[in-house]
Amino acid sequence: MSAKMNSKRRSAVQSVLLPVAFGGVLITAWQTGLLHKLLNTDEYVLPYPTRILTIISENTDKIMENVWASLEVALLGLLFGSVIGYLIAVFAASFRKLGSGGLTIVSSFNAIPIVALAPVIINWTKDVSPQADVRSMVAKIVIVTIVCMASMSVNAYRGLTELPAFSQDLMKTYGAGKLTEFRKLRLPNSIPYIFTALRVSVPVSIISALVSEYFAEYVIGVGRQIRENILIAQYSTAWAYILVACVIGIAMYAILIAAEAIVLKKRR
Amino acid sequence: MLETTENRNVEIMLDNVGMTYDAADGKKVQALTSVTMDIHKGEFISLLGPSGCGKTTLLRIIADLLQPTSGKVLIGGETPREARLKRRYGMVFQSATLYDWRTVIKNIELPLEITHESKSERRERAIKMLDLVGLSEFANHYPRQLSGGMQQRVGIARALVLQPEILLMDEPFSALDEFTREKLHIDLLKIWRKTNKTIIFVTHNISESVFLSDKVCVLSPHPGRLSAVIDIDLPRPRSMEIRDTPEFTALVSKVRNSFEGV
Repeated sequence: MSAKMNSKRRSAVQSVLLPVAFGGVLITAWQTGLLHKLLNTDEYVLPYPTRILTIISENTDKIMENVWASLEVALLGLLFGSVIGYLIAVFAASFRKLGSGGLTIVSSFNAIPIVALAPVIINWTKDVSPQADVRSMVAKIVIVTIVCMASMSVNAYRGLTELPAFSQDLMKTYGAGKLTEFRKLRLPNSIPYIFTALRVSVPVSIISALVSEYFAEYVIGVGRQIRENILIAQYSTAWAYILVACVIGIAMYAILIAAEAIVLKKRR
Repeated sequence: MLETTENRNVEIMLDNVGMTYDAADGKKVQALTSVTMDIHKGEFISLLGPSGCGKTTLLRIIADLLQPTSGKVLIGGETPREARLKRRYGMVFQSATLYDWRTVIKNIELPLEITHESKSERRERAIKMLDLVGLSEFANHYPRQLSGGMQQRVGIARALVLQPEILLMDEPFSALDEFTREKLHIDLLKIWRKTNKTIIFVTHNISESVFLSDKVCVLSPHPGRLSAVIDIDLPRPRSMEIRDTPEFTALVSKVRNSFEGV
């Protein structure tokens, strides 16, 4: 019992204390200029942490406006991509012969770099609205949707088809039809796989939202601000947006992990 | 005259049942050849044999999970498919096959959800079944929180909750340790006595089959066939101690000697 407690405490030390200590050392080195010496750079290209925080506090409204724009793209793209990906998986699981081929095509979307995908999608969606902000938003959401769709469809397909031994036989012994089998067995069996997909697609949705902003016609979003500020050599402001982007990514991943812990608690 | 009264008691009739698989190399594999036997209402029958003898194949044919390539099966005068759709049998598998996202009681309620029983009816019947297998305190536990033996008892409760006449059991205790298995043997016999089900029990354990059954059907491999049917005339109710009697030992060796070509 006490040995178990000890090992639990040790793993808590390893998983929480060590990263925090490392972060502390890094920030101290950064703030004291030691990091600049090590990286052979100056405080203009790599501003001190206090300077970055000052910029954030002075520009809160503008930064938040861009945060919401990026979050909207990431979350809507994540939502649409996940729903469409899951529906593709359901289709593929229902028509196995046709489905597994279709799934290969969908998952190959994952291999297309966003940099290559973005100009094509922006070109496709250039006529959806007379307003630049709307058509840019649509283009960005479509890009995130495509990227998120692949991981969901592949993982959900596994969850819908890789069933525990005899569980399908059991359904058959109750004379259950396909729909009942789906509702009572395949759907609940796929839920842990949905989280596996989201662990990939949540970070990817943010990255692809930020990158898609680079190519969009309308200038808005955290990713676009990083680029614009670097172009005009406003490195402190660029770093402020980089920090905000990190916080968004970490926060969304943390929310996902918390949700997963709640939903799957009973299964473990 | 005698034959007709006996026929009325026949629950499951196997007539020349055979099963041939197409192997990967194009050859035909005879998993089962011409099995003929009658199983009577309320009987406890074991299908005993080494792996490859076709005992599980035979059970799955009765359950309509496999279609025989020859012969005929009748369950209470109906085809296995009709019997399955009318839920005339309950099945217990090698692993408990509980759905890990459902609590114990919700697992037992699953078949009743499929037959659209009301919520209160489901709960009432599931509680009765939990009581029967002695797991009332574990209703709201999740399967992972139970031992292997307890999980398998939940599997039995779930198989009985639709009140089928027949219980099909496919090596249900083979993954359990000896102590748990012996305890479950006693529990299973108690449940059988209380419910009067016809039980077909697949096993590769000779002493298990002798201890539980009225009749041991010995299957031999290559090709899978019924090589002997041995009546077990040990008195009931049976307790653990019966295993130490000379009668029990004699029956075990009689069963062992009836295998062919192993």
